[in-house]
Amino acid sequence: MSIGSPGSTVGVEDHPASAEPVRTAATPHGKSPSRIAFDRLRKDKVAVTCASIVVFFILIAVFAPLLAKLEGQNYSTFHTDLVDEFGYPTISFSPDHWFGVEPKTGRDSFARWVYGARPSLIIAFLATLFGTVVGVVMGLLAGFLGGWVDRVISWLVDFVLSLPYLLFAIALVPIVESMRGGSFNLTPQEQAQIRFYVLIFVLSFFGWAGLARIIRGEVLSLREREFVLAAKAIGVPTRQVLFKELLPNLVAPIVISASLSLPAYVTAEAGLSFLGVGLVEPIPSWGQTIAVATNWFKADPLYLWLPVIGITVLVLSLALLGDAIRDAFDPKTRR
Amino acid sequence: MSDNNTVRKVDSVPSGSTAKDSGAPLLQVRDLKMYFPIKEAAGLGRTKKVVQAVDGVSFELKAGASMGLVGESGCGKSTTGRMITRLLTPTAGEILFKGTNIAHLKERELRPFRRQLQIVFQDPYSSLNPRQTVSNIISTPLRVHNLVKKGKELDRVQELLERVGLNPEHHNRYPNEFSGGQRQRIGIARALAVEPEVIIADEPVSALDVSIQAQVMNLLEDLRRDLGIAFVFIAHDLGVVRHFCDQVAVMYLGKIVEQGSREQIYGAPQHPYTQALLSAAPDLGTIRGVPPKERIRLVGDVPSPIDPPSGCRFRTRCWKAEDICATQEPLLEPKAHSSAGHAAACHFAEPKVDLTAATA
Repeated sequence: MSIGSPGSTVGVEDHPASAEPVRTAATPHGKSPSRIAFDRLRKDKVAVTCASIVVFFILIAVFAPLLAKLEGQNYSTFHTDLVDEFGYPTISFSPDHWFGVEPKTGRDSFARWVYGARPSLIIAFLATLFGTVVGVVMGLLAGFLGGWVDRVISWLVDFVLSLPYLLFAIALVPIVESMRGGSFNLTPQEQAQIRFYVLIFVLSFFGWAGLARIIRGEVLSLREREFVLAAKAIGVPTRQVLFKELLPNLVAPIVISASLSLPAYVTAEAGLSFLGVGLVEPIPSWGQTIAVATNWFKADPLYLWLPVIGITVLVLSLALLGDAIRDAFDPKTRR
Repeated sequence: MSDNNTVRKVDSVPSGSTAKDSGAPLLQVRDLKMYFPIKEAAGLGRTKKVVQAVDGVSFELKAGASMGLVGESGCGKSTTGRMITRLLTPTAGEILFKGTNIAHLKERELRPFRRQLQIVFQDPYSSLNPRQTVSNIISTPLRVHNLVKKGKELDRVQELLERVGLNPEHHNRYPNEFSGGQRQRIGIARALAVEPEVIIADEPVSALDVSIQAQVMNLLEDLRRDLGIAFVFIAHDLGVVRHFCDQVAVMYLGKIVEQGSREQIYGAPQHPYTQALLSAAPDLGTIRGVPPKERIRLVGDVPSPIDPPSGCRFRTRCWKAEDICATQEPLLEPKAHSSAGHAAACHFAEPKVDLTAATA
């Protein structure tokens, strides 16, 4: 059993003998796994359609003032002349009011609809951002450091996950308001501001724990992989191991978790606003409009349908996009 | 490899022959122990037990030499290698590198030694970060130890790629674009980047195809000869070790049972376990009609390292075992009939020749 004597040249892979470092512009560039996933995503028709719809809504939210100006209206002016004595709007679609006006107050429906896209998206994106950052950092620390750090963080995760989310969210609004001097002493503007931040806080507070648990598990398995040991053997400092060696390998779970939590937060914001603990006047929001519109559904169905269609289409495309992203990162889950 | 000579000129590291002449050992391992605590539920409470993964291993490695650590799975070979590179902190014992005990140094003090002791891993699929380009993987050690000026890193990376027989133009590819053998070469290039004096090769070829094994072994052989790097070669393949190592240590259940030069171990093994290992290697001669040699068959399983047998650890599977083996632990010492440098840990050690074919 002698495997090649010293100096043997059996089968050594040859590379061109003239292997002088020739660097031409045409040097093929390798594809990173993320790049491959992105390419796969671009070929997915559902993903591209959903992404376009999401981008469409983002553009609506960003350019809401511009769109309202284009129509020539704003979301807060009352048009009492356009509603009858019982509060029902007297006009429907018209060149002045593209989607008609609100019952009772006569405010412009189109302006309120485009502005209503804003809080949903801002809250969903900010809550996802905070939840993801906190979750990733906590998960990395717990998984990599182990020991008491892991025990403390894991206990926190269990604790947060065991709290009743809805109860907590409903209870927190009056608590924070009373801490700020009671709802009677607050201007509507202040009250709306407080609720906006409370919503972001509640959603990200309950959002980080699940991700932290996933990341911790991933890190536990990655940490034993030999490339992490190799980095240690080279003497790479712990922080670099965490953020340069491990974090790039966690792109898939992070992106997937973020893309699935976005639609969940849009729904949650609308749901809480509907229940009366979310956003309040004067900020227009879809959830709040739905809550008011249920009373007028028989007389003015459009008033309800507009925000419902907005939320449904947005959440559906975000959810389908999330699924497509997960499939792109892990082709094995494909049907 | 027709361009051997041109490639070698790239490196200006002293060749092996000069490094080999210095007398003092480069690396000395003394009575190294690694106990892993485990918790077990027993009745109401929990009992703490220890796995004696490595229990008193000692050996020396001269500059430019190569030492083979062989033994079956779970005998503590890899643990020993990981302790030497300080991926694990030994429970007890000394690791002397050029006279400095690095066994219990703090990470900060260990930094300069990290450059001298490198490791090549077994699995080329998990030893490279899938999210980094080859150039990034190989330049990490250069950056961590400030070995190359900023902006010159790519040149050094390409030089290393060429040294291990890869196309230097492939520096911006990702590991998933390479085969197993090529990946192992990248792992070797990463270890070479810091110009180490010792490389721990932890079963570097056992995950590879046999034809690729030969190529990687030849590469390691070239590096040893040209760069004078000393190797601790961990393997369970006796043929590979015989090809590569001057010194061989056979491990069983956390202890070295026999140690000696390649000729002594393969030509006249004294410990029953070594004899059993050697006789288990398949013999190609039988295909050509040569009557098969008597094969020593070991019965039973390796005992648990949580509660190893008293006395000699091999006695539960040994055909020579007598009462003394259970009461008195045999020391690893030279026996009356052994030549210099050959030691075995057995009460009834006796050489048994003719277990392997003569060296080709």
